[in-house]
Amino acid sequence: MTISETLAGALGLGAVNPLEDFVLSLVGAALVGTFILLNTAVAGPWAKRKITAAFTDRIAVNRIGPFGLLIIVADAVRMLSKELVIPDGVDRPAFDLAPLVLVASALLGFAVIPMGNGIQLADPTVGLAFLFAVASIASVALVMAGYASNNKYSMLGGLRAVAQNVAYEIPLVVTAMSVVLFTGTLQTSEIVAAQAEPLLQLGALSIPSWYAFVNPFAFVLFLAANMAEVGRNPFDTPEAPTEIVAGFQTEYSSVYFVLAYLGEFIHIFLGGAILATVFLGGPAGPVLPGFVWFTIKIWAFFLFTQWCRSAIPRVRVDQVIEIGWKGMLVLSFANLLLTAVIVGVIV
Amino acid sequence: MSLEAPEPATQADVGVTDDGLDYDTLEALLGDVVIDRETHLNAEAFVVQPDRVVDALSVLKNKAGFDHLSCVTAQEYEDRYESIYHLKKFDDPTQEVSVVVPTSVHDPTSQSAESVFRTADWHEREAYDLVGIEYDDHPDLRRILLPETWQGHPLRLDADQEQPQVVPLREHANPLQEDHPGGSDTMFLNIGPHHPATHGVLHLKTTLNGEQVADVESDIGYLHRCEEQMCQQGTYRHQIMPYPDRWDYISAGMLNEWAYARTAEDLADIEVPEYAQVIRTMSAELCRIASHLLALGTFALDIYGDFTAIFMYSIRDREVVQDILEDLTGQRLMFNYFRLGGVAWDLPEPREQFFEKTRDFLDELPSRLEEYHNLVTGNEVLQMRSVDTGVIEPEVAKNYGCTGPVARGSGIDYDLRRDDPYGYYEELDWDVVTEDGCDNFSRLLVRLREVEESGKIIDQCLNLLEEWPEDERTIQSNVPRTIKPDPDTEIYRAVEGAKGELGIYIRSDGTDKPGRFKIRSPCFSNLQSLPEMAEGEFIPDLIAALGSLDIVLGEVDR
Repeated sequence: MTISETLAGALGLGAVNPLEDFVLSLVGAALVGTFILLNTAVAGPWAKRKITAAFTDRIAVNRIGPFGLLIIVADAVRMLSKELVIPDGVDRPAFDLAPLVLVASALLGFAVIPMGNGIQLADPTVGLAFLFAVASIASVALVMAGYASNNKYSMLGGLRAVAQNVAYEIPLVVTAMSVVLFTGTLQTSEIVAAQAEPLLQLGALSIPSWYAFVNPFAFVLFLAANMAEVGRNPFDTPEAPTEIVAGFQTEYSSVYFVLAYLGEFIHIFLGGAILATVFLGGPAGPVLPGFVWFTIKIWAFFLFTQWCRSAIPRVRVDQVIEIGWKGMLVLSFANLLLTAVIVGVIV
Repeated sequence: MSLEAPEPATQADVGVTDDGLDYDTLEALLGDVVIDRETHLNAEAFVVQPDRVVDALSVLKNKAGFDHLSCVTAQEYEDRYESIYHLKKFDDPTQEVSVVVPTSVHDPTSQSAESVFRTADWHEREAYDLVGIEYDDHPDLRRILLPETWQGHPLRLDADQEQPQVVPLREHANPLQEDHPGGSDTMFLNIGPHHPATHGVLHLKTTLNGEQVADVESDIGYLHRCEEQMCQQGTYRHQIMPYPDRWDYISAGMLNEWAYARTAEDLADIEVPEYAQVIRTMSAELCRIASHLLALGTFALDIYGDFTAIFMYSIRDREVVQDILEDLTGQRLMFNYFRLGGVAWDLPEPREQFFEKTRDFLDELPSRLEEYHNLVTGNEVLQMRSVDTGVIEPEVAKNYGCTGPVARGSGIDYDLRRDDPYGYYEELDWDVVTEDGCDNFSRLLVRLREVEESGKIIDQCLNLLEEWPEDERTIQSNVPRTIKPDPDTEIYRAVEGAKGELGIYIRSDGTDKPGRFKIRSPCFSNLQSLPEMAEGEFIPDLIAALGSLDIVLGEVDR
């Protein structure tokens, strides 16, 4: 069930014609986009500070509004009113487009994510492939930003970003493939549905067959590769403050900076959404409605990234690549083969 | 094993007798290089011809075992210029000798010592920059602290101290112009002067081959504040003591003050009451803990990349030390607590409260350190990052005059608190910490373990202070209101600062102000060794090595 059907049902429209379907989808897309942006607005200026502060023995924002929540408004005004500095010699329009592409690619991914309660923009049969495809467009944005900025630090950051994304994209996709072997479909709604069956029955407690439980090894691999994809510690080499200043976003200021940062946060949430969909049963969960569970799951991944950021050192750029090519790639293929054998024998 | 003939064993004990060094034997060893002898308060000085510097120094280094060129002092007299090479032994720094190289007023040129001691490179550049002595065969005789366009040499007698020289940015070469020197496929990258990892205003001219460092050159002097000259314009008794706080301003103030106190007290022959020595020892070690904790925090910052848990935890613990120091001195950073002949005042009343607060901190310390070891040194990712990176071999470190945790991280067992005792250290039970890894990790480990040792020292000092009879608590000896040491008395003394050997050379000119005041900064010498650690490594390792050197630019540039 896609969001246009859900909306039509809610409005009591019954069967919809293509025009109505189009309009309802647009409205749905606006709603989903707003929801995601709302999450990042809370995460970026407020939750991230609060969470990091809790990890590092500080208090963080507490002056404006309850729990300092209005810092979100204050920060938005501050960021938007700052001067937009465009350095000499930047390669326009690539310089201007990069932040937009970064945000758009991450937002696009949410189109095929089933968020529960019938909230899913589209449900193509190639859903998972589409998801990875649009998520990797972000690499293009990073190269654009790194190359167009006319800054050596940006350049280094862009190069690192690409090297890292290429190295971790493959294990990511290959590990997801091992799940596809179970489900036999790339359609995200089907993947979620396949995880609804009970795996174990412990008295009254029924453990669902989430792929995190079915194949925990794949889950851990996917989680690690995902950290590299979203560029967080220990894999935050593309940004690497203290080494290359701010990497690809060194020269971005004001709105462009907001966009670049927004893109990163949406990417973290998208990473969480993919993880939830593929391994954690999507929006499934007891008592609470599916949509709430989905939100909890993506926030759990966000919390996890912040925890790593506070506690784990950054590995060196050559070590990142080494772990990717020599470790993750081999392990992910081993996982795929093993899963294929098991699925072949059992099914 | 090498098949080449081993180098002739150094006779490190030439002239060593039970009553100290026999300088006549050394003079005989040097032969006709010596044209005169001088007596400085810390050691005898051999005057050598300006074109025989290398001969004299290499004999002393290779035949007599003086392997530590601690400092190079340059100064101008009415009739001559002089460079003084202060030599020591890493094995026993109480064995000292100075080599004085006079040059004429008209042509102040002498031979460079760079070929014997690598560390002379920067020291001679500084001498050239500030005093204007030229060194033959120096590989790179440029200004080091002042801008290239500076006119004259500020520490010359005829320099116009009243006339400010404004050096606008446009007179400098545009660092962006020379993008790819030599047209090769390397990339030139300016790290700093404003960069998150330079711990102040330091500029690293880096040539990169891909992500690897092909060449790195430090550009210092952004924080040069004429500290030596300011000290030369202050009176011994009170006006100089506030300045040392401002060299290494990372809460190492008391350690710096002790460098001046020790030098001036030896120069003017001032006794320090034992009670004051215990207070000095305790406060200095508190400063060392604060300084090492910050070094740990910023090193973690460089490796982790954000203001993470480690940084905040170390700041949290350092804050406790700062509070104790504030109770003791009334200040948090610029203590100005030492006085010639003692300290400014006794422990704060009520004493019990001070003891309790400090004890509480010491009781907490082991669990805190365990936390750091769990979080930092026990972390596999951090080990992956720091073990075997930024390696500096002991021989290289000695050649560069590295001291402090940097030297001890390379297995050089050298600590002035034990080897050239002062204060109350001799009476206390503690150990010098060394690690043999020679890498970033070892330097980190040395600092953490030194915090532990400092805790031991403070604990013993507290016991002593608690039991000290009330009528014997003399905090200052009788010191004349004006101190005027005999003219032309020269002395070089060093203490173990937070970063290493912090030395001061003073020549008195018969007035109540020093004729020449020279600071030997440990960070200055340590930073010079950065290329040895970083070349061939990746940028992140360069940053980590810089962090593990724990430099303070205020002390590098003075």
